[in-house]
Amino acid sequence: MRKLLVLKLFFLTVFIQAQQNDNLTVGFESNSQYYVDDEKTGDFAEKNRFRSNNYLKIDYSISKFSFGVQAEGYEPMSLLNYSPDFNNSNIALYYAKYTSKKIEATAGYFYEQYGSGLILRSWEDRQLGINNALRGGRIRFYPTENVTLSALYGNQRSGFDVSDASIYGFNSEFNISSMLKSNSWNLDIGLSYVGRKEENDNTDYNFNDLTNAFSSRLNFSVNNFYSSAEFVSKSSDAVIIFDNIRNTKPGNAFLFDVGYGKKGFGINANFRRIENMTFYSERNATGNSFNQNIMNYIPALTKQHDYLLTNIYVYQAQPQISFQDFALLKIGEIGGQVDLFYTLKKKTTLGGKYGTKIALNMSYWAGLSGDYDYLNFEYDADFLKFGKKYFSDISLEIRKKWSSDWSSVFYYVNQYYNKKYIEETFGIVETDIFVSESTYKMGTGKSLRFETQHLWSKDDKKNWVGGTLEFNLNSKFAVYVNDIYNYGNDNETKRIHYYNLGGSYTLGAQRFALNYGRQRGGLVCIGGVCRFVPESTGLTANIVLSF
Amino acid sequence: MRQLSIIICMLFCSIVFSQKSVPNSTLFTLDGKSLKVLDEISKNKITVLSFWATWCVPCINELDAISEIYDEWQETSNMELIAISTDDSRTQKRIRPMVNGKDWPYKILLDKNQELKRALNISTIPQTYILKGTEIIYIHSGYSPGVEDELFEVIQKNKN
Repeated sequence: MRKLLVLKLFFLTVFIQAQQNDNLTVGFESNSQYYVDDEKTGDFAEKNRFRSNNYLKIDYSISKFSFGVQAEGYEPMSLLNYSPDFNNSNIALYYAKYTSKKIEATAGYFYEQYGSGLILRSWEDRQLGINNALRGGRIRFYPTENVTLSALYGNQRSGFDVSDASIYGFNSEFNISSMLKSNSWNLDIGLSYVGRKEENDNTDYNFNDLTNAFSSRLNFSVNNFYSSAEFVSKSSDAVIIFDNIRNTKPGNAFLFDVGYGKKGFGINANFRRIENMTFYSERNATGNSFNQNIMNYIPALTKQHDYLLTNIYVYQAQPQISFQDFALLKIGEIGGQVDLFYTLKKKTTLGGKYGTKIALNMSYWAGLSGDYDYLNFEYDADFLKFGKKYFSDISLEIRKKWSSDWSSVFYYVNQYYNKKYIEETFGIVETDIFVSESTYKMGTGKSLRFETQHLWSKDDKKNWVGGTLEFNLNSKFAVYVNDIYNYGNDNETKRIHYYNLGGSYTLGAQRFALNYGRQRGGLVCIGGVCRFVPESTGLTANIVLSF
Repeated sequence: MRQLSIIICMLFCSIVFSQKSVPNSTLFTLDGKSLKVLDEISKNKITVLSFWATWCVPCINELDAISEIYDEWQETSNMELIAISTDDSRTQKRIRPMVNGKDWPYKILLDKNQELKRALNISTIPQTYILKGTEIIYIHSGYSPGVEDELFEVIQKNKN
C-alpha cells in the first residue's frame, strides 16, 4: 500500500514537473474495462472482471541529449486477448539518444523501419498489443544532405523481456537527383539488410542460424507522375507448419507503385507479389495469434474502411506458408489495388455550389498458382500467375456539402471474402454495403451526425443493419450511441444487437472517454494488422494525458 | 481509489500549458526526401500542425472544412497549415492521390513510422497544434464541425 502511495506521489511530481519544465514531456494512457455477464452472449467466464492496460512515458531532453523511459502496467490483468506476456507492472522501455546534424546515436530501446517495412519494422500499437521495439544500439549517419546510412544491433522486445535472437540491420538511402543537381525530376534509391541469428538444434533440415533479408528500393518522380519499386529477398529458412519444421525455403517480395496527380484529380495503382515472407524474431513464434515477435510489416493493400459494417470482413495479407489440407495450400499472395480521387468543381451541374468529392478504390488479391506437393510440404510457385481468389473490394465514396450547415457522405462497398483461405475455416462471403452519413452544423462547435448502414449478404451471417448518432455539444464534449444488428442471421439466438453508448471529453491534449456496450467478437484491425477479440460486454474507460 | 481521484483532481486544477516546442523529429516529403520538422516551421509565422491519416474520416472532414476557408485564413494572418500524415506503409501510397484529388492547399509531410506522433504522445487523431514560432500555444484533439472556427480565433488572437 505504501509502495503504491509512493508511486502515485512520484507520478504526481513528474506530472507537475512536466507542466513547468519545457524539456520534460510526459504521456499517460490508460485503457480499462469492466466486463459484465450478458444474457445474450453469455457470462464472463475468465478471471478478473476488471482489467486495465496502462502506459506512462517520460522523455527528457537537454541540448543534444535525450533520455526516456516507458513503464507499463497490466493490472490486475491485461485486457482480453492481449498476449499473456503483458502482465503485472514494470519498466518496459528506456533509451538515451544523442542527436547532432551529422549523427544520431541511440542506446536502449528504439523503433525502426526500413523502406516500407517488408524486411524490418518495429513499432508500437497499444490497441493491438504490439510493441516490438529493439533493445541494443543504433547509429544514423548523414555524411551529406543526400545520403543517410544507419546500422543497428539488438534483441527484440517480447513481453517485458527480449527474445534470444540477435538482430543486425543496415540501411542506406541516396538521393541521386540531388547529387546530380536536378530539379526537374527526383530519384531516390535505398538498400537495406536485416539479419536474424537464432540458434537451433534441429538435425533433420539444413538451414543457417543466421537468416538474411535484403531490400532494394527505387523512387522516381517527374512532374505529376511518380512511381516506386521494392524488391525483397529472404534466405532459405525453416518452414514451420503445425509447430514443426517441415521444409526449408527462401522468401521474396516485389512491390510496384505508380501514380499521377494534378489539381482536383489523383490516381494511384499498386501491385504486390509475396512468397513466404513471414519473418519472426523466434522461429517458434511463427503464426502466433498475439502478433508477438514480428520482425516485418506486410499490411493488406486494400482500403482501410472506417464504418462498423464495412469492418466485418477485413482482408489480411497472406505472406505465410500454410498447408492445412489438400484443398487449402497457401504460400503467398499476388494482387493489387487502384485508387482514384476526383473533385467535381464548384458551380457546375454535378459539382453544385460547393463541389463534390469522389473517391474510388478497387483491390483484388489471390493466392500464388504453382505446383504443390502436400505430403512433402513442397511447392514450386509460378511467377506472375494468379491462383485462387482470396479477396476483392470495390468502394465508392461521394462527399457532398449541401449548404454551409449540411453535408453528407455516401459510401458503397462490394466485397468478396474467401473465408476458407483467409481465416482457414470454410465458405466464401459476398457482401454489398451501403452507408449514408449526414452532419448538421449548429454553430459554436455544436453539431449532430447520423449514420445509417446496411450490409446485404446471402452468406455467412447474412444481413446486418446499423446506425450511429453522435452529438457534439461543443468542441470538447461529445456523446454517441451506435448499434449494429445481425437481423438476417439464420440462427435466431444469434440475432443480436451490438450496441454501444458513450461520451468523450477533451481538453487540449487530455482526453477522457467512457463507453458501455457489447463488442462484436472478431478481428480488430489497425493498419492491416488484426487482433482477434472475443465477444464481450462491459464498461470501458480511456484516459489520455499529455504534459 | 480516493488517492487516485485526488491526484486526478489536482492535475486538472493545475493544468497550465507550458510553452513547449515541437521535438525535432525526422519527417518525409511526398517525394520521399527526409527533413527535420523544425526546419519546416517558420519562426515568424503561426503554424498549424494537423496530424491525420487517409483512413481517418474526422481528420478528412477537418482538412476538407479548413481547405474551404484557407484562403481567408492566409489573407488575414501570416499562417501556414502543415498536414502531417501518420499513415503507415499500408496506406501511404494513398496520400498523394488523395491530396491531389481533394486539391488541398497544405504542405504535406509524412511521419512514416510515427516517430513525431509518439514523441508528442498523440494517441488519437485528428490532433491539431497551433504554434507561434516553434512554441505550442494550443492543442485540440478530435474534430467536430465548427472546431475550425475556434482554431481561427486562436490564430487571430496570436497573429503578429
